[in-house]
Amino acid sequence: MSSYYSSILQGAVLTVGVSLAALVVAVLLGLAGAGAKLSGRPVLVALATLYTTIIRGIPELVLMLLVFYGGTIGLNSLLEAMGSEATVDINPFLAGVLTIGFIYGAYMTETFRGAILAIPKGQAEAAWAFGMGRMQTFMRITAPQMVRYALPGFTNNWLVLIKATALVSLIGLQEMTYLAKQASAATRSPFAYFLFTAALFLIYTTVSLWVLRRLNARYSLGTKRVQL
Amino acid sequence: MKKLLLAVALGSLCVVSFAQGKDLKVAIDPTYEPFTFKTADGKPTGFDVDIASALCEQIKRKCVFVEQVWDSMIPGLQAKKYDVIISSMSITADRLKVIDFTNKYYNTPSRVVVKKDVKFDGPASLKGKKIGVLKGSTQEKYAMGELKTAGVDVVAYEAQDQVYLDIKSGRLDGTVADFVEVTGGFLSKPEGKDYNLVGPELYIEKYFGVGAGIGLRKGDTALKNELNTAIKTIRGNGSYKKINDKYFKFDVYGK
Repeated sequence: MSSYYSSILQGAVLTVGVSLAALVVAVLLGLAGAGAKLSGRPVLVALATLYTTIIRGIPELVLMLLVFYGGTIGLNSLLEAMGSEATVDINPFLAGVLTIGFIYGAYMTETFRGAILAIPKGQAEAAWAFGMGRMQTFMRITAPQMVRYALPGFTNNWLVLIKATALVSLIGLQEMTYLAKQASAATRSPFAYFLFTAALFLIYTTVSLWVLRRLNARYSLGTKRVQL
Repeated sequence: MKKLLLAVALGSLCVVSFAQGKDLKVAIDPTYEPFTFKTADGKPTGFDVDIASALCEQIKRKCVFVEQVWDSMIPGLQAKKYDVIISSMSITADRLKVIDFTNKYYNTPSRVVVKKDVKFDGPASLKGKKIGVLKGSTQEKYAMGELKTAGVDVVAYEAQDQVYLDIKSGRLDGTVADFVEVTGGFLSKPEGKDYNLVGPELYIEKYFGVGAGIGLRKGDTALKNELNTAIKTIRGNGSYKKINDKYFKFDVYGK
């Protein structure tokens, strides 16, 4: 009985791994997207707008099936058409990380864009006047200040992202929700295992919230308090 | 340079495997006790799993089990993540449009279950009673076709568990369900003690289909023929019966 719990705990490790790796991808994409949207260059703006519009408008479940299975089926029929016997197997961990990262990158784009816009334009202009380049301005002036504005939206995105990892079982990853389902089916007692999984999720999100609150306090020094 | 990087990135994402060799990759969704489920130490087990192993032995290939969520079972087969599905998948006309099936390897009957004090002699004797069924199931088709026409109040639910919950709370008089499902999930439990199976074992093909088969990609005819022969062989040589008796008190192969 108890080893079902230990297998769910192993799934929890995977959940943490997938979500953290996906967060890195999402933040990078979000920064790139926000940069593109604010760049004022028509092509970049159009691309970034297309990205956020399409991704935020399609359910994650559909996207995941489309990217993972659609992609594999496409690659395989391509190989077959070229007369090859080989079959392609996409690594499910990477696929899950990239898909979730790609989806939440779109939400991060909007969060970061809003945060950057919240910083008075004069600050960047002053930096340029001092002779700082674009990158230097971003690292020294914009980034440290935008953190405070981005954190509330970021926190929301992060919590939703954590819960979205429950979908990666669709592409063959044994995350904790699927393992809980297996355990409850085998023992025909669903509540214990699902409650256990819910508690694990709650612990994970609570710890996240605590860390983010600390971060918020750090970046809000000298300003009025913002509640997360 | 960029193209090279892209190629490397794509390459690291995928593993290209050649001519599967001797391994037969078998997809299961281990959430269906006693057919496919996992033991506490994480090993796949159950009737489907044992049958798969017996069939692999017959066709002299090694079974490698791949766990797959039910919702993406067929896409995974089409994406060649595995070669066959042996996971209690019923052979239906809709599924036959996209994948192929072997002959059935089991066909459990459905049964009507009502409270012990209800006298049952055919659908008409349930007139005015409320019977719960799983939405979209073969049992729902049967209930709509045979019971509703006899004046029974048929209610469809999203999950069979909800049917049991509503029986427990007194909103339903009974259910029509798969025999194995209803004995394991209801009759053997305390809340099912006042209920019993009534009427004959239901096998009517127009409602219940022909049973569960092994799903494979269209065009895999050689493998399909091999597996069909293997099913016949294990039915004949007693290994099917041995597996059957490990899990059930009756022959699940059906008529």
